Amino acid sequence: MNKKTILTVLSVVLLFLFLWYGDGHLSTYAMRIWEEVGIFLMLAASYNLINGVTGQFSLEPNGFVAIGAYVTAILILTPAQKEAMFIITPMVPWLQNLHMSFFPALIIGGLVTAFVGFLLGFPVFRVRGDYLAIVTLGFGLTIRVVSNNTVPITNGALGLKGLPTYTTIWWCWGWAVFAMIVIMRMVNSEFGRAMKAVRDDEDAAIAMGINTFWIKMTAFITAAFFEGVGGGLLASLITIISPTMFTFFLTFELLIIIVVGGLGSMTGTALATIVVIWGSEILRVVEQPMDIFGLHIPGIPGMRMVVFSVLLILIMIFAREGIMGQKEFSWDSLFNFFKKNKVAQK
Amino acid sequence: MNIALKCDKITMKFGGLTAVNEFSAEIREHMIFGLIGPNGAGKTTAFNVITGNLKPTSGDVNFFGKSIVGLKPYKIVSMGMARTFQNIRLFSNLTVLENILTGFHHKLQYNIVDTVLRTPRYYKHEKEMRNTARELLKSVGLLDKADLKASGLPYGERREVEIARALATGPKLLLLDEPAAGMNPQETLNLMYFIQEVKESFNLTVFLIEHDMKFVMNLCETIAVLDHGVKIAEGNPEEIQKNPDVIRAYLGDIDA
Repeated sequence: MNKKTILTVLSVVLLFLFLWYGDGHLSTYAMRIWEEVGIFLMLAASYNLINGVTGQFSLEPNGFVAIGAYVTAILILTPAQKEAMFIITPMVPWLQNLHMSFFPALIIGGLVTAFVGFLLGFPVFRVRGDYLAIVTLGFGLTIRVVSNNTVPITNGALGLKGLPTYTTIWWCWGWAVFAMIVIMRMVNSEFGRAMKAVRDDEDAAIAMGINTFWIKMTAFITAAFFEGVGGGLLASLITIISPTMFTFFLTFELLIIIVVGGLGSMTGTALATIVVIWGSEILRVVEQPMDIFGLHIPGIPGMRMVVFSVLLILIMIFAREGIMGQKEFSWDSLFNFFKKNKVAQK
Repeated sequence: MNIALKCDKITMKFGGLTAVNEFSAEIREHMIFGLIGPNGAGKTTAFNVITGNLKPTSGDVNFFGKSIVGLKPYKIVSMGMARTFQNIRLFSNLTVLENILTGFHHKLQYNIVDTVLRTPRYYKHEKEMRNTARELLKSVGLLDKADLKASGLPYGERREVEIARALATGPKLLLLDEPAAGMNPQETLNLMYFIQEVKESFNLTVFLIEHDMKFVMNLCETIAVLDHGVKIAEGNPEEIQKNPDVIRAYLGDIDA
């Protein structure tokens, strides 16, 4: 193991030490936000794989997260709970009695979502351009309508309530770190180079002998898997899911994160996730009633979105490519940065 | 001598427009074959048909004795045909070395599981690929540019990187679409030597489209002339220069 690997492992250990400390000392509210950061980091990183690295403008997350959430939720609810909940139409019998623990439920949620991604990718990646965005946008809406109407499976508009709260800070960050490792290893390999080649120039990528269809599929299916798992984690964190929960706004939030972080930069995504999720919590202050120079302002709901938008516009003006651009954080660049400073001081 | 590429009456129609009309040509192994013609004559279309980007309306393309019509372009690349583009199309956000590495993709020897688990197989082949890419860059004299972003290179070098990237796919036949376009006389001269050199050292057959007459006449052994999608002449440079049909196609009819 070289120095850089040790540093990376150390920083991950440090992260978990912080979380462990926080678990006992920080408020429940703060820890709840950190849990959300973990889940969103996984979602944003996988979304960045398809959108930033492979350059395919897709709007799939809310649909895929919904699928993962529903599958996991149905699997972790006990038969008795399901019987009590499905009051309009009874649940289909084979699902009614299906029950398992959290981990396999998450994996199955991810795999089902990946399979849906596989099926969806077949028609869309045969064409190029904006079709992917249109199809995936429509897909998200379709999932909402389907989950609203397949009452014997999803309980329709009533949703699923009282999910067991398995999701802890460890589940969230365990998965987030795992997803980051898998995705970053993919990006830093021939597959990642091929994905970036597709982003930069698809025709040239084909002329290099790259099977662009399967490269795009690989990115899409990987993203789908982690989005499905993320959906399962969210379901158990919020303990209630309904068809209207996973709207386009979720996709939009992830899109903000990856654009702020830098399209194609995974470390940028990690930074941006923390900034955006914590930012939107901290900005709740501006929605409180306040007095400025004797002027009384009543609390305006939605004000933080206004402030947030202004911040986004500023980022787009002053750092058009996001915080990190397409670059990744590396220990080398950090060392170089300090070296330069030292030289400057002398 | 083997026939590397044989085009048999290729016709390509876009609706009512016939871009290429019954184009036939035979390219022997180890030769440099040039295709010239006025703007809009259908040269690039012919290229796109040969590389599989377009499926011809009729006709057949034979590559070392095998028909390649209807095959996917990336499949044709793995059979040993590589191309460059008229407007240089490097992967601008990748480094020169990474650009070269993409050329090895079709013979990749590790899979996605190796990638995620970082198995010994991954490290071994990744290292091999990097070494081969560096050797390739060294042999074309671009090694010192390996870690620069492709978009940061000057125009002439970008063209050379593009050709080197095509060489990475391990081609037997190299198709160059207007390699000297947009170059000044000095760059054009350098490129001529460059093509000559790689042709010898990589044992290639070269098929190129070009507008620069000096370039074509000096480099190519056989030249075909395309006008309005029809082949009007074929021969060695002297024959082409004297051919009245060719002069008429380029300069217009003297009598008119």
